[in-house]
Amino acid sequence: MITAGIDVGSLSTKSALMDESYKVIAYDVGLTGGDNRTAAKATFDRVLAQAGLTPSDIAFIVTTGYGRENVPFADKHVSEITCHGMGMHLENPEVRTILEIGGQDSKAIRIDGEGHVETFAMNDKCAAGCGRFLEVTARAMGVELKDLGEISHCSQNTVRISSTCTVFAETEVVSLVAVGTPIPDIVKGVHNSIATRAVALLRSLGIRHRRESGETESGPMGMSGGVALNSGVVKSLEEMLETPIYIAENPQVRGAIGAAYIGQRMA
Amino acid sequence: MQVEKIERRREAQYQNLLKLLDGHRRDASKTGTSLRSSQMRSIINSHRMAEAYKEGSKVAYVSEQFPTEICFAFGLIPWNIESMAIMLAQSLDVNRIFQMTQERHLSRDICSFLRGPFGMMLADCYPTPDVVLTNDQPCEGLAKLVFMSGRSYKVPALALHSPNIVDEDSVDYLVKQMEHMMSRLAEELQVERFAESLRSAVEHSNQARHYYRKTADLLASHKLPDVSRELQEVFGMNYFGTRENAQLCKVLYEEAQELVGGEEKKGKRVLWIGQVPEESHELLQHMNEVVDIVFWAPLWEANRLMLDEDTPLRSMAERAMLYHWNAERMSSDIAQICDEYEIEGFLIANVWGCRNMMGVSPMLRDLATAKNLKYLTINIDLVDRNNYAFNHVKNRLDAFLELMK
Repeated sequence: MITAGIDVGSLSTKSALMDESYKVIAYDVGLTGGDNRTAAKATFDRVLAQAGLTPSDIAFIVTTGYGRENVPFADKHVSEITCHGMGMHLENPEVRTILEIGGQDSKAIRIDGEGHVETFAMNDKCAAGCGRFLEVTARAMGVELKDLGEISHCSQNTVRISSTCTVFAETEVVSLVAVGTPIPDIVKGVHNSIATRAVALLRSLGIRHRRESGETESGPMGMSGGVALNSGVVKSLEEMLETPIYIAENPQVRGAIGAAYIGQRMA
Repeated sequence: MQVEKIERRREAQYQNLLKLLDGHRRDASKTGTSLRSSQMRSIINSHRMAEAYKEGSKVAYVSEQFPTEICFAFGLIPWNIESMAIMLAQSLDVNRIFQMTQERHLSRDICSFLRGPFGMMLADCYPTPDVVLTNDQPCEGLAKLVFMSGRSYKVPALALHSPNIVDEDSVDYLVKQMEHMMSRLAEELQVERFAESLRSAVEHSNQARHYYRKTADLLASHKLPDVSRELQEVFGMNYFGTRENAQLCKVLYEEAQELVGGEEKKGKRVLWIGQVPEESHELLQHMNEVVDIVFWAPLWEANRLMLDEDTPLRSMAERAMLYHWNAERMSSDIAQICDEYEIEGFLIANVWGCRNMMGVSPMLRDLATAKNLKYLTINIDLVDRNNYAFNHVKNRLDAFLELMK
């Protein structure tokens, strides 16, 4: 029995196919653009083609993300908080706290030993500290988004970037570039800015850590979402939290994988 | 202000209000409840509002939870300037009202329950008062707004300062203030005798409160559809002291009794803490599909207090102080409500710019955690739609509702 999960996000739409042994047999990522209904259909078609399947081969489709209710061929809509919780649990059942940073929001999720959400917190009203923030500042520095992680590892000095507003931060970055501040230092500053906001979100869930052992009292931490692909942000987070962070495989698709997993359990 | 001027102006103000409400966003198919008391309440409210604009009516602007028994003792129609802001929320013309406040340099970061009434006064929609009366809880911003209105309309502004700690000394202190306020009212309104009308208002208040409490008690063990909402409305009206309100509470109780044994609401109970939107609001509609919402405010300890008919001012003073947002008292009160009403989750409604909610929110989250309850904090604005959109909160609301299933 094959199930599908489709995560219709603000920037990207992801899909995943899963078999009854909970193995991911195919996944796809595409840009959402202005029409999330079309984007959902397109990623679904692509992932089916990858697996050599047709829609009639799919027993159950679960959609998640902001655009989840705009997918007419879905069997069930589930919030991405639940899906990311399940998706992370499927991969690493030890994880108890998840940080998911997407295009325009970030979430801190506490799960129990079965992947069920116990509590969560989301950033409010502002996309500063999310994927969009990285996109804007990368453009301002004239670098590629995918290279930010590597660039930040070359940083020699810490530059402070405000974490209040993406637009204001862009202005700061432009000013820093203009006075010749090394790009790696600026990128590191941007990453620290994101990490600062994320840590505040995690602390609102009661995340604690023991400085001696480096373990969190709240259990191992995991990260998913597109920003988890940025090794520089991950490093900034680990430095601030003083704990290692488990990065899910295919973090950008973790929500869609969780959705497909929920589909397996429901079908 | 001369009586003739007040009256002429009130007619114009009434027309301004009607124009403001002429275009409204409320979906008629989703309004009201199945309860007779809901219809009765609407009639009482409409009548009260219409009366307030009439020639010869005596109107007192009051702040939230002002002891309205005092108003009724003097034949005053209490006009709750904050609650009336919910009317503004329905209007399609709401932006114009808020723009007027910004032109007067009022910050958008102030709670819209203060900006809205200020704007409605600027737009000359509220009836000119004869007097303004305030206390300082739960919001001192509201007290300031009431004082401003007193200056603006050139009418007496009388205030009560209520201590936060309830003991004999603080009750004595507040009682003296109430006595002084009533002497001033007698002088301003040229009322010679008010003891009998105060006694009558207290009696009616207690009659209403008797049924109100019984209804609240029924809710503890039965998930009665629409009843918690109706209690919330009765609380919001703050019309305790009139015969009509006593009758309204009696009808509500009788209806609640009729509902016992019938079809009850499904879903786990969620305690809504914070300001409450009007009944057709998409937030409530969305949540009602999954959970049984119980509103905290009407169950507040202060709202269950009967007045001692021999020493009513002492009871009113105690009640006024219990209305203060004292985190320790609130925590204990809410914990008890959770146990009595079998609450399984909190919805903490942080209204934009409300410092009271900001202050108590950490306590509420700690309490939920201590009692192993799920909770969700949402940031909303119930009046100024520039600060809120359903899409802002739907994602996290859906996740919370999934936890509650």
